[in-house]
Order: sequence, then C-alpha cells, then structure tokens
Amino acid sequence: MSTKVPGDLTNLQSAASSRGRRFATALKGLYAKPASAFGTTIFMVFVLLAVIGPLIAPYGENQIIATEAKQPPSTSHWFGTDNLGRDIFSRVVLGARDILALSGLGTLLAVIIGIFLGLISGYRGGWFDETIMRFFDSLLALPALLLALVLLGILGPSNNSVLIVIVVVYTPIVARVVRSVALGVKTKGFVEVARLQGESLTWILTREILPSVLPALTVEAALRFSYAIFLVASLGFLGVGVQPPNPNWGLMVSEARSNVNQTPWAMVFPAAAISIVVIGVNLMADGLKRVFQAPVNV
Amino acid sequence: MSPGKRKAPILNIKNLTVAYRQGDEWLDAAREVSFCIQAGETYGLVGESGSGKTTLVLAIMRYLGANGSVRQGVIELDGQDLCTLSESEMRQIWGRKINLVPQNPQSALNPSIRVGEQLAETLRYHQKVDPAVARRQVVGLLEMVHIADPEQIAQSYPHQISGGMQQRVMIAMALSTEPRLLILDEPTTSLDVTTQSVILDLVRELIHGRQTAALYVTHNLGVVAQVCDRVAVLYAGDLVEDASTKDLYRKPLHPYTRGLLDSVPRLGETKNQVQLRGITGQIPPLGERPTGCVFRPRCPLVIEVCYQRPALYELTDKRRARCHRWEEIQRGEANAQQSSPEVIKTEPINTKENQEVLKLVDMKVYFPLRHSLGELVRRRKPRFVRAVDGVELKIRHGQTLGLVGESGSGKTTIARSVMGLVEKTAGDIELLSIPLPQKLSDRDLETLRHLQMIFQNPEDALNPYLTVGGSLSRPLITMMGKSGIEVDEDVAKLLVRVQLPAGYARRLPEQLSGGEKQRIAIARAFASNPDVLIADEPVSSLDVSVQASILNLLNQLQIDHGSSLLFISHNLAVVGYLADRIAVIYLGQLMEVADADVLFEVPYHPYTEALLSAIPLADPYAEQTQIRLEGEIPSAIQKPSGCPFHTRCPRFLGEICVNKTPPWRLDEETGKQYFCHIPVSELRQSQERVFTFKYSHPK
Amino acid sequence: MEGKYKHPGTGRMPAVMIFFVIMALFLQACAGASATSTPGPVSQEQASQTATTEGAIQKGTLRVALQPIVQTDPALISSDPEIMVANAVYDYLVDITPQNTITPRLAVDWKVSNDGLTYVFTLVKGVTFHDGSSFSANDVVWTFNRLKNPDVGSSTADLYANIDKIEATSDLEVTFTLKNPNPFFLFDLSDNHALVMKVNTQDPTDFNGTGPFVVTKYSPEDRVIVQANPNYFVKGEPKLAGIEFIFFNDQTAQVDALRGGQVDLVFAISTDLYTNLQNEQDLTLLDVATNAFDLIRLRADQKPGDDPRVIHALKLATDREAIFNLVLQSFGEPGRDSPIGPLYTQYYTDQYPLPARDVNKAKQLLADAGYQNGLKLDLHTPDTGNRPNLAAVLKDQWSEAGVDINVIVEPESVYYGENHWLEVNLGITGWGSRPYPQFYLDVMLKCGAKWNEAHYCNSKLDELMTTAGTTMDEQKRVEAYHEIQQILIEEGPIIIPYFFAQLGAINNQYQGFVMKAFPGRSDFRPVMFTGS
Repeated sequence: MSTKVPGDLTNLQSAASSRGRRFATALKGLYAKPASAFGTTIFMVFVLLAVIGPLIAPYGENQIIATEAKQPPSTSHWFGTDNLGRDIFSRVVLGARDILALSGLGTLLAVIIGIFLGLISGYRGGWFDETIMRFFDSLLALPALLLALVLLGILGPSNNSVLIVIVVVYTPIVARVVRSVALGVKTKGFVEVARLQGESLTWILTREILPSVLPALTVEAALRFSYAIFLVASLGFLGVGVQPPNPNWGLMVSEARSNVNQTPWAMVFPAAAISIVVIGVNLMADGLKRVFQAPVNV
Repeated sequence: MSPGKRKAPILNIKNLTVAYRQGDEWLDAAREVSFCIQAGETYGLVGESGSGKTTLVLAIMRYLGANGSVRQGVIELDGQDLCTLSESEMRQIWGRKINLVPQNPQSALNPSIRVGEQLAETLRYHQKVDPAVARRQVVGLLEMVHIADPEQIAQSYPHQISGGMQQRVMIAMALSTEPRLLILDEPTTSLDVTTQSVILDLVRELIHGRQTAALYVTHNLGVVAQVCDRVAVLYAGDLVEDASTKDLYRKPLHPYTRGLLDSVPRLGETKNQVQLRGITGQIPPLGERPTGCVFRPRCPLVIEVCYQRPALYELTDKRRARCHRWEEIQRGEANAQQSSPEVIKTEPINTKENQEVLKLVDMKVYFPLRHSLGELVRRRKPRFVRAVDGVELKIRHGQTLGLVGESGSGKTTIARSVMGLVEKTAGDIELLSIPLPQKLSDRDLETLRHLQMIFQNPEDALNPYLTVGGSLSRPLITMMGKSGIEVDEDVAKLLVRVQLPAGYARRLPEQLSGGEKQRIAIARAFASNPDVLIADEPVSSLDVSVQASILNLLNQLQIDHGSSLLFISHNLAVVGYLADRIAVIYLGQLMEVADADVLFEVPYHPYTEALLSAIPLADPYAEQTQIRLEGEIPSAIQKPSGCPFHTRCPRFLGEICVNKTPPWRLDEETGKQYFCHIPVSELRQSQERVFTFKYSHPK
Repeated sequence: MEGKYKHPGTGRMPAVMIFFVIMALFLQACAGASATSTPGPVSQEQASQTATTEGAIQKGTLRVALQPIVQTDPALISSDPEIMVANAVYDYLVDITPQNTITPRLAVDWKVSNDGLTYVFTLVKGVTFHDGSSFSANDVVWTFNRLKNPDVGSSTADLYANIDKIEATSDLEVTFTLKNPNPFFLFDLSDNHALVMKVNTQDPTDFNGTGPFVVTKYSPEDRVIVQANPNYFVKGEPKLAGIEFIFFNDQTAQVDALRGGQVDLVFAISTDLYTNLQNEQDLTLLDVATNAFDLIRLRADQKPGDDPRVIHALKLATDREAIFNLVLQSFGEPGRDSPIGPLYTQYYTDQYPLPARDVNKAKQLLADAGYQNGLKLDLHTPDTGNRPNLAAVLKDQWSEAGVDINVIVEPESVYYGENHWLEVNLGITGWGSRPYPQFYLDVMLKCGAKWNEAHYCNSKLDELMTTAGTTMDEQKRVEAYHEIQQILIEEGPIIIPYFFAQLGAINNQYQGFVMKAFPGRSDFRPVMFTGS
C-alpha cells in the first residue's frame, strides 16, 4: 500500500522505513547537493584525522628539531616548521583531535542537558518553564565569547573549564530549540491520546515527543558543534582556553603572530584548518536541515 | 442551465495532459482531459484528493510550478491557445480574462492594505480608471455582493471582517474586471454551513445572466448539485464522467461516480434506513497508477478488457464516460454498486431505556481572556469566552449521540472537557453514575479505560515514529496491563477488527493512507473496550469515498463492543446517518435535542430549520426551503443575552428573546426538546418540512 | 492556490533603500567618532611646547608601549614597566650609568669613611616635590627608614638590614651608618625601589616625587600620562614635553603599534619580534648586552626538588645549545647556571665545565631518586619575552628524560603578582640586569632571602656569599665568586641557560635615548624630539 495525504497529490518517497535505511537516506541526501557534500566530506576527513592523527603525523606535537626551524613548506615538512622547529603539519593534524574532541564532547553535553530541560520546559510549561527560560534569556544576552572569558576567569584555564564553558554557552540555545518543537508537538493528536491512555510522563517525553524533536535537534547540534570549534579556537587564540605548547589551532595562530614576517605558513595553515572545519560543519548542518525537512509535495 | 444555442465555448480543453517532474521522471497528474465550458455556464470539477483537479486549474491558468508542465493538449480561451502565450502575454489575461476565487480568502488578501484599496488597485491596473472613479466603482462592487455598509467595509483591513465577508470581497474582485472565465477553487470549504449557503446563493446569482464561464472546483457533491449546470468527475488524473448535473446524479454512467454518490449520506437518512457503501481500496498515488482503466482495482464490474485504457466514450458530446461497460450500465444490465461489507446487526437496538453511561449536568466552560494592562488599571472585570454555557447531555448504554454545531458552538470544547484536556468551569460530569474527576491526572487507569477519544486529524493521530503495532500495543500495555505474546495477539485481533491486514502491524504511519490511519486510531481507541467513545469530527478530514467505510466501521465496532458513542460533527447529514439521538448546539447552548429519525421532521427549532435549509443537498432534484440567516455567528466573547440565537433568528419574537432565557419545551408527539420561546404548537403550524428528495438512492 | 493573486509592484523599494543608506551613514559617523580615542601620530594635547627652567623649548611626547603596571608604591614595584614609570616621576639619591658606574642625582656629592661604615651625602639645593614642597634631608631619611622597615614588605628590608642608622645631619646632608662594610653600598642605595619620597607621605601611591615628569593622568590598565616638570632641578631637562606610557598586554600588539606609528618606543621584546623589525626604515633598533637572564628553578624545599638528584637530572636533560640557538637566536650570551654573567668581567669565570646533555643519565638519576616512572610537573611562566618559547623547548627536551611538563603561561601581572612566582614549584622567572652580582646572591640565593624563589639553603654558599659581599679585599671577592659559580653548577637549584640582550626599538624622531641593561632605569631626561 502506498502513501496518500488527503488534499495533496502524493509524494513519492518510497517506504524506506527502518532506522538504518533512514540513516543511509540521510547520507544520500547530504551528498545530493555539492555544498553539503563538500561539507560532509570535510567533516569526515577531519574526524578521521582526529582518530588516526597520531598514526599519520610524522612528528610529535611538541617535537623540536632545532636545526630545521623556520623552514617553508617542503617535502619533509609539508606545512613547514615554526620558529622553534616544530613540524606544523603534525601539529595541525594532532590539533584536530584536541579541538574536535573538546568541541564534540562539549556539544554533546550541551545537547543532552538541553534536551532534558527543553522537553520538560516545553511540555510542562508553568513556573519551571518561565524560570528556566528567563535564566537562559539572560545567559543568551551575553555574547558567547564574553561569557566564556568570564567563566574561564572564574574557573581557571584548563580543558575541563573550556568544556564547562561550551556547555554553559550552548545549552540555552539547544534547550530553546527543543522547547519550541516540543510546544508544537504536544498539541498533536497522538500526544493527547497518550495522555488519555495513561502513559507516564517519561514515556510521553521520550517516545512521543522526543523523536519529533530529533530532526531539528540534529541540525542545531551540528551548528552548535561548528560554533563550539570556533569558540575553542578563539579561546586558544586569546590564550585563555588551553596552554602552550598544546597544538590548539587558535593558539598556534596566536603564537605565530610574532613571527608572521618570517614564518607566515605557521599562521596560515592552522587558520585555514579552523576556517575549513567550521565552514564544512556549517555546510553539513545546512544539508541536514534540507534532508530533514518534510519532502515538498509535488 | 446551459443555453440551447451552440455557440463557441469560452474555455475549450482538448486532450490535456499535465505532468510533474519527480527526479528524472515525468509523472502524469492529469491525462487526456477534454471538456468545454460555454458562456454563462457553471461547470463543476469534482474529485477527491489525487484526482488532479488542482493541477488542472493551475494548468488552465498557466500557473504551474517549475516542476510541472503541459505535456500535450490545448487550452483554448475564446479560441486562443493559452499554451502558446508568453508570460507577459499571460499577464494581460490574468486578472482580466481569467479570474480566481481562491479557497482561503484570508491569505489571498493583503493583510496590510485596506479592502477597498485592494479592489481599487485591481480596477486601476486592469482598466486604467482613475482613483476617484475607482473608489466609486468599489462601493458599487461591494453592493453587488450584498455587503451592507460598503463604505465601512472598504475602509477595513481584511482581518477586521469575517470569513464570509472576505470571500464576498474576493468574488467582487474576481468579477470586477468582467472576466471571460471565472475559476472558483473550493471557495466555501473554509466557511460555516450557514455562511456557505449565502455565498452559494451569491455565486449562482452573479453568474446567471452574465457571459462569464465559471469553473467550480470542489469535492463536495452537495455543492455541485446546487450550483453547477454540468459536472466533470475526475479520478486519479482521468476525466471519468462528464454530464449535466441532473443526469449525473440521476443516472451515473461510471462506477466511480456511482460509488461516490452511494457513499455520501443523504440528509435525513439514518443507519436504520439505508446502508452507506464506501468504495473499496485506495486512490492510487501519483506514479503508481494501474495499467488500463485507472479505476480497475476498485471497480465492482471489472472484466478482462478493463486492462486496456478505456476511451472517453460518448453517449452524446455532452454525456461521456470513460468506461468499457458504460452501455450496460446505461441500459441497467450492470449494477455498479459497491459491495461493501454490511454492518452486521442482530436486531435493531433500542437504547431508550438503557442505563446512563455519561451525563453532563449544567456544564460550563469559560476561558478567561487575558487582561490588557489598561484593563487591569481600570479594574475591569475579566472577560470570558463562554465556550460552553450550561449544557445538559445524557448518553445511554449502546447509544450514539450526535452533537452538531457550526464553528464556535463549543462542541469540541465539550469533548475536550469531558476528556480532561480542558478544565470545566462549572457543572458535573458523571461517568457510569460516578462523578468524573476533572483533571486528567486525577483519573486512575480504570477510569481512563472507560472513556476514550478519536480526533479529527488522522495525520496527527499516530506517533510517526512508532509502528502501527507499537501504537496499538500501548493501550494494551498501559491500560490493560498486558504483556508479551498476549499483546501481539491482541494487536492482530484489533487489526482484523478494523479490516486491515495483520502485516500492517509492522508499518509506519507514513506508509498509510488517511483512511487507514483513522482506522488505526479507532482500533486504538477501542483497545481498552471503553464504555464511552468520543469521536470529534472523525471523518471530516477524509475523502468522501473513505468516509462511508469509516462510519460503518464505527457503527460496527460500537455494536460489537456495546459502547456508547458521542459523535461530534458540523455535518448534519453524517450525524444523521450514524446517531440515535442528535443534539444541536449553537454558541455554547443546546438548541434542540431529538431522536435522529424525527429531527428532520417538523416541528424544528428555528436554528435547526435554518441549518437544514442551508445544507447543500447532493441531489439536484431535491426541493429545499431557502431560509437564510443574516449576519455572522457572533463572537463567544460577546454572547448575546437571553437566547443566543436571537441576533439571527428568522422567527425572532421581540424583546422577550433578547431579555429572557428561553425555557426548554418538549413536544409530546415526537419527543423533541427545544430551547425556544415559541410554543410547540405554533412551530408545528408555521413550519413545513424543509427538504424533500424526489428520488430515492439509485439502485 | 492561495496567494497567487498578483499585484503590480508598489513603490516601496526606493524608500527602503534610502532608509538603509541613512542608517549606514549614521553608523559610520558614530564609528568614526570613537576612532579618535586611539593615539594619533603626535598627541594634539601635548604638542604644546613648554619651557625648561633654562628656557629651552621642550617638545614632543614620547609614547612608550609597556605591560600594565600594578604597583605604584615605589617600595613595592618590581616589573620593568613599574620601575620605568617610577623613574620618570621620582628621583634616586644616586643613579647608575649605562657603564655601571655611580653618578649623582639627588645627592650631589658624598664621602665615605675609611672603615667603610659611614657615608655622608650632600643633597642638591632647590629641589621641590611636585606638590610644591621643598626637598630636604628629612625626606631621604624617611624614605630609607621606610624601605628598611620589614613591615612595609619591600625586598629592600633585607638589602638595607645592614644599615644601622640614617640621620639628617643638616638640612641638605644625610649620614648613613652601616653595621658592616659593604663595598657595593652605593649600588644598593640605587636599588630600583630607592626612589626618594616626601617625608610622612600618607599615600605612597600618590606619585608625589621630585622627578623630571609629573603625572597628569593615571588610568589603570590603560595609560599613565606625564608632563615635563617645569621646576625640575636639572637645568635644561627634561627635553621632552611629556611621556605617555601606554599599556599593552600583548607584546606583539606593542610591536604592531610601533610599526603603525601609534607608539614610539618598545623594549624587552622577544627575539622573534625583534628579528621582525630588522627592515623597518623609521626605527632605530636597540640592542644592549645585559646581565639579564631567564632562570628555571624547581623548589628545593618540596618534593621532588628536595632531592638534589632530581635537579641534577633536569640539568642533564637540558640542551643548552639548542636553547641558545632556537630561543635566543644568539642575541645574548650562554649561561652557566649562575647569575654572575660575562658582563661582570673579572667576577665571571667559565673554567668550570657545564655537564653535557645526557638523557639516559638523567633518567637514571630520577630512578635513583625514586622516580623510575618519570615526573609530572607544572611549569609556570610569564607570557613575555622569550620565556614561553623557552617553556615549549624545555617541555620537548625534558620529555625525553621522562619528565612530563604541563606548561602554564600566565600574564606578567599574574605571575609576579602577590608572590605567586615565589610559591610555584617549578617556574621560569626573568631577572633584570643589575650593576653588580652580589645583589642576586643576597636577594635570590641566601637562605631565607626575600626573593629566594628556589627556597634553597646551602650554608657553604651562604658563607661564601657573605664573604664576597662584605670583604673589602677585591681578590678575595673574585675567588669567592668563582667558587660560588662552581657550586652552583654542581649543586645549585637553578638553571640559567642564557643571558639575553635587552632588545627594543625607538622611532627615529627621538634622539638621545640610551637603553640601560635594566630598561626600567633608562633615563628619559636627555631624550629629545627632533621631528616636526
């Protein structure tokens, strides 16, 4: 039997229904347009780099070869070396792991907490909703970087602090998105039926409402991820997030500033890495939005 | 009626095929459609979803999207083929020679420009009149569509006028340029019945005598019967029958037409008198159309030759049918009636003496309006929307009570309040003679089991992320405490009950049609074997051919389970079919309560009388009194005092209706109860039966 | 189907465009207005010319870029910027020339007794404080008594512990009586903190000095603006109309500002930044050999540094040549783990060999000390100069010996603030150049000394240091210093990899600036503006 929606001509999406098939369809959808294909590829390449980085990096992240300092890109040093003689290619590759892991973990935590708060807020409403949302409003009123600096000042610079910063900065946004979808879904028939049939709150939140939230949430999470990468790099650049000689790309850019005349490649490659990853994940998020949108009817 | 002379038609469609591009393929939405419309003729285009009527209209207007195109055929307007024209040439035609009255006037009018200005804009653009002249013409146009106080309306913004009035404005705008072709796309679908009747009158009046050809697109067979001179029936992209209205209804030649007519409940016919028959199967989606005759899978008369596509056979050039067996049908040798399973009853059930299962006593539901700051400061008392204003209802065991009302009547609010989704302000509800806790959270599982609901929109009725089996198993697990194998067995049983294959348990909602989804929703509601089931417009979102089977299903399940049903709808014909007793509600107040078989007979409450006269009957031969109500339904915020109907009542008595709340009167003879100041005897004398069908259902 | 009804275009677009154009212009003007707060080529306010006491024209406002200052009480200042600002606002009793000799400032003449215990100073006449009051011997007495007072918390308390008493023997004469002879006493009297303040100053941060420049504006973390003191006691000086000390947290930003013409002088910059300025046309490069050094120290009173083998292991793990080439790029001299550098000619010796780099031996030593699995340490370093690079290089070198370093870079004000640098376990500290080496020994290496950041106590070393510091016999002193250097190489708690040159640059239009080895003590009085 095939699909039919009253009042419209039928859409042609075939019955690809199982979860695995859904994932494959999503992937295919991402690769349908050049922009999101590019973005997704970039993302996967960098994730791969992050994972196998230590295996392919020819040199250590802080390996100083005094005799080869300040060399331009060459066959032995693909991205050249910096003023202390460290291989920039290795540092960029190894830096991928740090930055992606930190941003990724932070985003994941923000998403988890955001889902929890957003669902309860959206579904239950009432004073809980009001309080939480006003609190989040005040957090959102502060620019992310400013909030990050204040928090880091209190917590002290370290990886854990940056993680907390990412969570604090991005949870409100995620919670907002979840809440707005939850508000829309909770008035739908099947949710009311669930209530009328005595389903528990947990069931309603996790099985009735949450699945509808996931598409928008996935897109939002991808976007947050790209911003988190940018935030970590920015904090590294400002010297407040991570400590040298950690191969944080932002920090590498900052360190290279004093030598930009002599070793411009020491700044160009980490900066390019930041841009490419952020743009790539952003494009992927756009693609996800397209993929999750309801198919436009003919 | 079409003029006797055979002039050149204004619109002549020849062999039109319109296709949409999906990926790499082109899929035909309308195939080889041919018809023509003469001047002054109203031509109806009837079809359910997926019939292609929207596509045809867009094609005729040359307004298809980027992925649609006319693959073959000719669209001639006054002899000129529109397909050959460029966009700039079409711009001369749009708004001047072809005009559209759209389905939703709210979104067709620019919300930030005053109504009069929009009308004037049209005039200025197309007819190049100067502003002063345009303003005068605008007033004239508004008068033409019977808007009282046209100057006032011309100064208003669209959101300040009612839906009916907006549609009048659209009609005025459409006719202002004296178009050759007027297309009306479901113009009354979003309006109340009483408002709709007025608009239909207007359409009939304005088309008559003009040289404009009108194409009226709708799915409502009653509207077609009352408004159109000729009708074309579309099914899955094919024009399957083309005839004059009277011929079509009296003697349909195509099995699909027959099936449609059989599935629409006639006003006044109850389930004890007739058997509605829906059409088996589903409408095929775009791109999955069967080979040969497109109706083949669902046709009761299918034979070998039907695997070849039938041509549009002609009885005369104005009476055509796309069916191989049309001649047999015409001669009466073949019966095109669907053979839906009958509802199995052991004997007619008399529910009058049964125990009361649900009782509403003086139920009131008021919604407070938010105070503006100014009102707060001035210490004004809070205002309320009196959605339900003192309603008493009783449903007995095994009984179906129909609740009928237009928009704003409060019928949905009653349902939601009984279910606990909305808090009532006052009054009592008793379920099985036990007071029902108001809040949903206060009701235990046992209580919930007894009382279930079916919602209007089947698209939202099922969790899109649960399989059918999953959705059906939830009430079994949660309310019935079952688990394991038992659940699977019960799910299978439920599917059988609603006449769906057991394999459906593994499907996801997106793989089901609207009708199938509603069946699942019904199955789910019956899973806990409830004593009372509330159905809120359960068939209103479904196609006509599907409605009948759902109604029959509800009926069957109700009998099997011994449940009581509170059936809520705005469609009195549907309610009349299914209900044992009917309550008519207006602005939160019951107007009349009667047994279904006597509601449609004299004496009526004045509102019921008006309602019955406003419903377009699906029979061009039927006779119907024309009682038209003035004005619009008042807002529930400012409910009229005394009798809420007094502002529009054609039998308005005077001061007493304004100041005093009417009493409940009982007619001994019929058992009807009314809420009216006019005594029963007077009503009986002054009223006559509002409608009569000349011919019974075709056999 | 809804909404397809077409309306002819309305004339709304032009209005919208005009609105946006106006908004853009408005915002442009606002942005433009605030841009004037950054310094322009020559500050208009101070372009006005004033006259020295001799009637010579003073012109030009020198804009100096430096790290933000925290302390303004002369007794508590420690960083280069703090000293530089104080040096412009106050005067020393005696000053030290770039050639490391003593020269008069507020004291015009002095006599030393034969036993070296009594010093009598004659003060300049006619000096006034910025508040108009006259300068006299009482001010000197009060100043040094304050500096001697341990409750004030200055490092000079130790330094001046040897002073028995200070007297104003006449209106313009001060007598210092010492407990023990001190051959370097005059240098001590010119300690960075020994700026003369008015007697009984209630608020020591009030900038009320006798100096060549008067503070007209101090906005913390932003800048200090000073104007030439019209009543300065040195005729014809200062030659500048004023100085603007502008604070930058970031040295790269300082150099960028210099290039861009927003400041005129930068100093104490890292080698990297210096090499980037090689080809600038309108700059004069400043390169002064100094005894300034960066040292790395592990606290000897805590684990793991309490075991000398650990410290020795660290020394063995360090590749000094690599550091000298990479970090310093040869702008300086190699160090030998002692603060006595080549600048001190006879006091310095290179006869004792430095241990060659031996990673395996280092690992062995660590294992012997009980750290067979290596060490994990936090290395704190300020963010200026070459120190961050040094930390990065050390991390790499020491990791080969199993010592895992976590580098923590802190802003200078944080590292040096509130004695944080004295309390961390492992740190890199930058030490400025001093005119004589005894200062370092007394202040850094003596048991319990105020700035003994390694918390090191070696009685033999103490004895030698005392000898060197008190004997009047020059030869004995040389021998003592040589022995100290030997002990420090073998057992000392500090690694001094290099002595770095003091690097800076100044705009060509300013002549007469001589940067001292301790840049904060550079004299602004003779600097003149030769531009237009």
